[in-house]
Amino acid sequence: MSDLGETRWVFPRWTNQLRVVVGVLLVVVPLYLVVLLGYGASPKTTDVGYAPEQPVPYSHALHVGQLGLDCRYCHTTVEQAAEAAVPPTQTCMNCHARVRAASPKLLSVRESYATGLPIPWVRVHDLPDYVYFDHSAHVRRGVGCVSCHGRVDTMEVVRQVEPLSMGWCLDCHRNPEPHLRPPELATSMDWVPPEDPEVYGKRLRQQLGIRPSTECWTCHR
Amino acid sequence: MPKALTYTLVILAALALIPLALIARARVTTSSVPRLHLIGDMDTQPYLKAQAANPLFADGRAMRMPVPGTVARGSLMEPEVATGRDGNGWLEVIPVPLTRELMARGRERYDIFCAPCHGYSGYGDGVVNRRAERLQEGTWTPVASFHTETARSRPAGYIYNAITHGVRTMPPYGGQIPVLDRWAIVAYVKALQRSQHASLADVPPEVRMELQARMQGHDGTR
Ligand code: HEC
Ligand code: HEC
Ligand code: HEC
Ligand code: HEC
Ligand code: HEC
Ligand code: HEC
Repeated sequence: MSDLGETRWVFPRWTNQLRVVVGVLLVVVPLYLVVLLGYGASPKTTDVGYAPEQPVPYSHALHVGQLGLDCRYCHTTVEQAAEAAVPPTQTCMNCHARVRAASPKLLSVRESYATGLPIPWVRVHDLPDYVYFDHSAHVRRGVGCVSCHGRVDTMEVVRQVEPLSMGWCLDCHRNPEPHLRPPELATSMDWVPPEDPEVYGKRLRQQLGIRPSTECWTCHR
Repeated sequence: MPKALTYTLVILAALALIPLALIARARVTTSSVPRLHLIGDMDTQPYLKAQAANPLFADGRAMRMPVPGTVARGSLMEPEVATGRDGNGWLEVIPVPLTRELMARGRERYDIFCAPCHGYSGYGDGVVNRRAERLQEGTWTPVASFHTETARSRPAGYIYNAITHGVRTMPPYGGQIPVLDRWAIVAYVKALQRSQHASLADVPPEVRMELQARMQGHDGTR
């Protein structure tokens, strides 16, 4: 009877190991959750790579990469305004009234032209509404499209390549030098600085007097 | 340790790797699903950004078209500048001051808007023209060269009007190019035309000697 009672209440020998296991788990599980959340909820995971399907299979790789059109041919407001403006149907019809005029891929473009209703392009890059962003302030000061949108000239479908998070904006506002180029080359996709980007950027920054602000009211107004 | 417990721990550890693998995959692939807004903050506020959709209007546009005939403040200009015409027909001279900056601007804008069809030197051999001719669809009109006799005799106002309203089968570019930029392009086109029919007499005397010497240095034929 007493013998039985003793064996019932004594922990078996393997529980000694269990103490170690539980100790390790108490450290590993929170660490795991932190890594999972930090890695999984980072804008680099959730936002980068967004490439919505567009109503027309329009390809920048063809029009920019092969035909060599400048970004400003279509995104005409990018140097004057905050918005870069997706082009109106008329811009497509400049050429497509006569090139590939019967192509089934361009059916909705012709429809839009005939009816006057806009093509429902799907927005790719979208900052939260409480952020103020201005294209002209960047493009006219020598930050190229490629720094924020990547190699658009190789994209069949536009995708977001940068996180557009506050940390990302600030990284560049604190150290813009590696991203600077002569402002007239802002739309060039394959431009490389003639010397070390840091040195070149530093000189350009002094020449143009570039001082990006990191005050909260610059972007939250 | 009981086998069952060990196995459970090993299986849990293996399962814990799956989310990490999924995240790693999400980082290198593209997705057509918009991002999840778990915490909405004030990401979407009840105002409309430029070019947004608004079902309130029949055409679905949030941005409204200006009433026909409206002139925006500050954009009223001389009729000659706006139309390229005066009482007697096309303007022969460019009605804005010709400066070095205007020419540089004209060159830049020409390269953006005209060169795809007319080519960088204006012979009508732009990339789009070549591509369209190769397609042989029968709908494309060859792009005009700026260096034919007729093209060179065109007055400035005619070229300006061709940009604003298009000419024959060429589409209008008035919507894409502001007025001053159009005149800058006209100035550059005129310069291009001059450049392709230049003679030694056009070269300033100071550098003419040098140029002549260099030409002789070559083979003297050009
Ligand atoms: C022939 C006209 C044309 C040219 C030239 C052009 N684009 Fe576009 N671009 C479009 C159209 C139409 C869309 C909207 C459809 C889409 O997203 O694919 C677009 C979309 C974009 C977007 C995504 C916009 C969003 O919704 O967030 C970016 C970024 C962009 N273009 C950058 C560029 C850059 C950089 C260049 C120059 C290298 C360029 N584009 C040249 C027509 C053009
Ligand atoms: C400057 C001239 C030009 C402009 C402007 C232009 N395109 Fe094109 N596009 C072309 C040419 C040339 C081709 C044909 C290339 C080929 O197939 O060889 C083409 C091909 C296409 C194709 C593929 C058609 C097919 O049947 O394969 C689509 C889709 C297209 N364009 C959409 C657009 C859209 C949308 C716009 C407006 C944002 C636009 N394009 C503006 C010149 C232009
Ligand atoms: C400093 C970074 C940066 C540079 C440089 C930049 N963009 Fe953007 N672009 C953005 C951001 C951020 C957005 C999203 C804006 C928003 O949601 O309000 C955007 C949006 C766009 C859009 C979608 C329409 C719009 O205006 O919101 C187009 C088209 C575009 N960019 C084209 C261009 C082109 C063409 C260039 C080069 C001439 C360029 N961008 C240079 C950061 C940049
Ligand atoms: C690749 C570098 C780079 C990135 C990324 C970048 N910026 Fe900038 N930003 C600049 C530079 C350079 C200037 C110009 C500073 C000057 O003119 O002295 C500037 C200027 C600005 C201005 C204008 C300030 C003024 O004085 O009016 C605003 C607003 C701004 N940035 C917002 C943003 C936001 C929001 C983002 C992120 C979505 C962003 N920027 C990302 C480089 C960058
Ligand atoms: C260079 C531009 C820039 C500057 C300067 C800036 N922000 Fe931001 N901020 C952003 C952008 C872009 C976002 C949106 C990030 C996103 O979409 O996740 C943001 C988001 C935020 C958010 C919301 C974060 C969230 O996810 O809920 C807060 C709060 C904020 N900023 C506070 C500040 C404060 C405080 C300062 C000054 C110390 C500041 N910001 C300066 C660009 C900026
Ligand atoms: C989409 C291709 C395309 C683009 C871009 C284009 N053109 Fe043209 N252009 C044409 C074609 C095609 C003709 C010949 C029309 C015809 O004969 O039916 C033409 C003819 C002309 C003519 C008439 C020549 C004459 O003697 O009658 C002028 C002037 C002209 N273009 C100027 C320009 C200027 C300036 C630009 C830039 C803003 C420009 N074009 C951009 C296709 C284009």
